[in-house]
Amino acid sequence: MKKIFEIALGIVTSVGGFLEIGSITTAAQGGAEFSFQLLWAIVLGGVCIIFLVEQSGRLAAVSGRTLPDAIRERFGANYFLFLYLILGLVTLLVLGAEIGGVCVALELATGLSFQWWAAPVAFLIWLMIWKGTFGIIEKGVSLLGLVTLCFVVGAWVMHPPWHQVIAGVAPSLPQHDAARYWFIAVSILGASISPYLYFFYSSGAIEDEWDESYVGVNRVIATGGMSFGTLISIAVLILAALILLPNGIKVEHYAQLPLLLVPVFGRWGFWLLVASVGIACFGAAMEITLEIAYMTAQGFGWNWSENQRPIEEARFSSVYTIIIILAVMLVLSGIDPLKLTIFSMALTAATLPVSIVPFLFLMNDSHYLRGYRNGWFSNGVVLVIIGLAFLLAIVTIPLEIFGGS
Amino acid sequence: MDLVRDCLDEHLVDRNKRPMGRVDGIILEVGTTGPPRVAYIELGSTTVADRLSPRLSSLMSRMLRRKSSDRYRIPWNKLRVGLNELTADVEAEATPALAWELWLRKKVIGRIPGA
Repeated sequence: MKKIFEIALGIVTSVGGFLEIGSITTAAQGGAEFSFQLLWAIVLGGVCIIFLVEQSGRLAAVSGRTLPDAIRERFGANYFLFLYLILGLVTLLVLGAEIGGVCVALELATGLSFQWWAAPVAFLIWLMIWKGTFGIIEKGVSLLGLVTLCFVVGAWVMHPPWHQVIAGVAPSLPQHDAARYWFIAVSILGASISPYLYFFYSSGAIEDEWDESYVGVNRVIATGGMSFGTLISIAVLILAALILLPNGIKVEHYAQLPLLLVPVFGRWGFWLLVASVGIACFGAAMEITLEIAYMTAQGFGWNWSENQRPIEEARFSSVYTIIIILAVMLVLSGIDPLKLTIFSMALTAATLPVSIVPFLFLMNDSHYLRGYRNGWFSNGVVLVIIGLAFLLAIVTIPLEIFGGS
Repeated sequence: MDLVRDCLDEHLVDRNKRPMGRVDGIILEVGTTGPPRVAYIELGSTTVADRLSPRLSSLMSRMLRRKSSDRYRIPWNKLRVGLNELTADVEAEATPALAWELWLRKKVIGRIPGA
């Protein structure tokens, strides 16, 4: 019974981690400009993240090591520093986008410019991490994130043409604006296959003291949670295709997002959208901040745990404090949060090989995984994801230039 | 024992299981006779930087101005190699390995309410 409860809670909290400003925005842009045609990108991204999250959880449960831990040990200091610099920079941009997302939600709610909200939001994120435990961050805020289910209800109520929705799951070539189509596809994949998700998940498994007995639980949580999150992204795309596309509205600024839910829920739709974006981004911002601090502390062998008092892990606490300050400076610099979101999602896609290639080696290492190593199927999937990651790394920058705006 | 696989970059804890960092370098002694002998392990940001580039390492040394204490060596005979980590028979807080941790604790983090 305890494990069933843990599975249910794990699935819910995984949704909280999955859905953030990047997945909402890119899905909305996809639906608004190409109807259901880009659903395949969300599904493909969802399948990839299920496998990566499951494997990072299995590595942590069996070996007692997080991903940065194992990467430093197995690949050495040079590769770790390379990964750390690239991932740290990209994740910092994503964090800026998430804080920007919370601020935009507050701007929509109050009319006060988003930049005024940057410092109070950043302070609240810092305070939650400073005072909270891993359980509060993981479960408390993620449970609130269930409000994002309003997108699924909205999509269902709108009675989409299901045969067209199903047809969108199969990849197809665009009839117009090919560069824009592929750029949004890449951004959707970047938003779905976020390295912070599988890095944070492996740290969470250690924080929750998982061991070998959790291998099955991990599989259910990873599959259920990421599928659930993918479903919500699909719902956002469906709503955009049904509401924004017929009215010729492209998502060019965040003030347009409430249009996704207002036609379905009326005045409540506006507040549901504000709550969904605000809570999802707030939860993601906390997880991303912690993820950067975890990666730093684990890679350099420092003392770390969100369940300890800050004074017991001064370097860990200092890192997340500095990270939040840097991210809030990004928001205060005046960069358009939507542009920052799209840019950071594309950059995430471009840098995926650095964090995905190690999976192939770590998940076949008997020193770490003993009898739980990858089988031929999982290895095949990882190879396909690595191929996709390299393809994304090659095409993202040209697509950013030709289809980014 | 494979030194690179089982020792370099591994977690290092003190005798009370307190994390000290990672094994950033291994020092070998080459005598006039006999094979090289592992003499020390080394910890420190400049040691890691050395593995990337000696120029970066000297730049870091100058920036930190702590050249003498940034690299910290532990004699090999004070180490015990375990399954998941190396244990050093020392008191972590009495070594330079935790100098930054202690400085931040005293000067910054410890002064913030609720720490």
